[in-house]
Amino acid sequence: MEDLSQLQEAVITGDATVVREVTEQALAAGHEPLKLVNEYMTPAMDEVGRRFETNEYFVPELLLSARAMKAGLELIRPLLIASEHPSAGRVVIGTVKGDLHDIGKNLVAALLEGAGFEVVDLGVNVDPQAIISAIRENDADIVALSALLTTTMPSMRLTIEALQEAGLRDQVKVLVGGAPVTQKFADEIGADGYGSNAVAAVELAKQTIAEGR
Amino acid sequence: MKRFRVISCSVFRREMAEAARRSPCHIDLTFLPKGLHEIDCSLMRKRIQEEINDVDEADYDAILLGYGVCNNGSTGLTAGTIPLVISRAHDCITLLMGSKERYLDYFQENPGVYFKSSGWIEGSRNSDEINQLSISTRNGLNASYEEMVEKYGEENARYLQSTLTDQTRHYGQITFIEMGVEPDDRFEHQARKEAEQRGWRFEKMRGNLSLIQRLLNGDWNERDFLVVPPGRSTDASYGEDIITTKQS
Repeated sequence: MEDLSQLQEAVITGDATVVREVTEQALAAGHEPLKLVNEYMTPAMDEVGRRFETNEYFVPELLLSARAMKAGLELIRPLLIASEHPSAGRVVIGTVKGDLHDIGKNLVAALLEGAGFEVVDLGVNVDPQAIISAIRENDADIVALSALLTTTMPSMRLTIEALQEAGLRDQVKVLVGGAPVTQKFADEIGADGYGSNAVAAVELAKQTIAEGR
Repeated sequence: MKRFRVISCSVFRREMAEAARRSPCHIDLTFLPKGLHEIDCSLMRKRIQEEINDVDEADYDAILLGYGVCNNGSTGLTAGTIPLVISRAHDCITLLMGSKERYLDYFQENPGVYFKSSGWIEGSRNSDEINQLSISTRNGLNASYEEMVEKYGEENARYLQSTLTDQTRHYGQITFIEMGVEPDDRFEHQARKEAEQRGWRFEKMRGNLSLIQRLLNGDWNERDFLVVPPGRSTDASYGEDIITTKQS
C-alpha cells in the first residue's frame, strides 16, 4: 500500500519526481484519480499558498510546487477526461502589447496549471488580435493579462476594447495583474478582476469559474 | 527670487546639478537612492514623503520632485503647506528625453530597449539596505544559479532559471541617452560594452534637459507638470495626463 501522504508532502516540497512516482503507483493500485487530487494534491497546494502568504515560501518554492502538481495532474487528467470530468477552466494568458516582461506571467501560468486549469500561454508583447484568435480556438473561459510598466497598462484597456469589438467580451472573464496595476485601474478599464499577486490571481480565477457555473 | 527645494532620484544627479546651475531661482537639491524604485512602492512612497515632511516649508515657495510616477512610488504623496510639483512622466526616461510624447513614440517603436544614462550607470550599485528590501530579494529571485543548485538541486535550478531569469531577457537593445552633462564618453563606453556582452544592439540618443530645466525654473505648464496644492495628494490617472491629484 503506497503512502499517499507522500504525495501531499512531495507537492509541498516541490518534488516533481516523487509526485509522478507516487501518482503512478497509486493509480496502478486502483486509487480513484479524483480522490488523489481532492484529498492530497489540492490541499497540498493550499498549504503552499498559505506558506507563501506568510513568507515561509518565496517565488521559487511556489513555482516548484506548481510544477510538481502539474506533473501529477498530467497523469491524472486523461483519466478524468475519460470520465467526463471538466478541467478547472481554460485560460488564455499573456503579457500585453508593448511589454516584454514575463516573470510574473510565467508564475501565474504555472500556478494556474498547478490548480488544474488548462493554460494557453501566448508569451510577451501579445497583440489583442492574437488573444482574440486564441479565445476562439480554445473556447477560453478566462483571459489573464499582465503588464509590468505603467507605459504598457493602456494596452490592457485596448485589449478589452478589442474583445468588445470582436463580440467576445461577454464570453470571457478578463483578469488583470502586474506590478503597477491596481484594483482601481482594473475597475476603470472594465476588467472582471484584479490579482495583487500570483496566489491571489489563482484564487480569483477559481472564484470566477465558480461564479460562472 | 523664488526658492525651491528639489527632492530627486539620484539617477538625475548630474542633470539636476546642471539645471540648478542655470536656473534663475534659488535651488536646494536633495537626492534619494536610485534603488528606491526596486523596493515595494509603498516603501518608496513613505521614504519620499518623509523627506517632504522634513523640509522647513517656510524657507521655500515649492517642493519639486525629481520623479515620474515610477511604478506608483510617487503616487499618494501629500503636499504640506506649500505646493508639490512633479513632471507628468511615467518614469525617469521621460525626464531624460525631455517629453512624454517623445518617450512614448520611441517606446512604442522599440519595446525591447533598456535605457542607460550617466545616472543609471553611476547608480547601478544599491546599498545593502535597499538590496535587502528589493522586490527581487523579497521574492527569492536574487539567488545566483549556483545558489539555486545548492538549495533546490540542479534540475530544479535549471527550471527556475528558465522561468524566473531576469526581466530583460526579451530585450534586444541598449539605448544610451546622452544629456550633455557627462564629463567624457566613459558612460557611453560602458553602455556600449554592456550591449556587446549581452549581444544586443546599441544606440546613442541625444537627451533633452528642457523638462528638468523648466521644472527647476518654475516654468510649469499644465501639459507637462502637475502642481499639487497644499493638502492634496498625487494620484495615478491612467490617462494621457499620467498623474493627477486627489483629496488626501
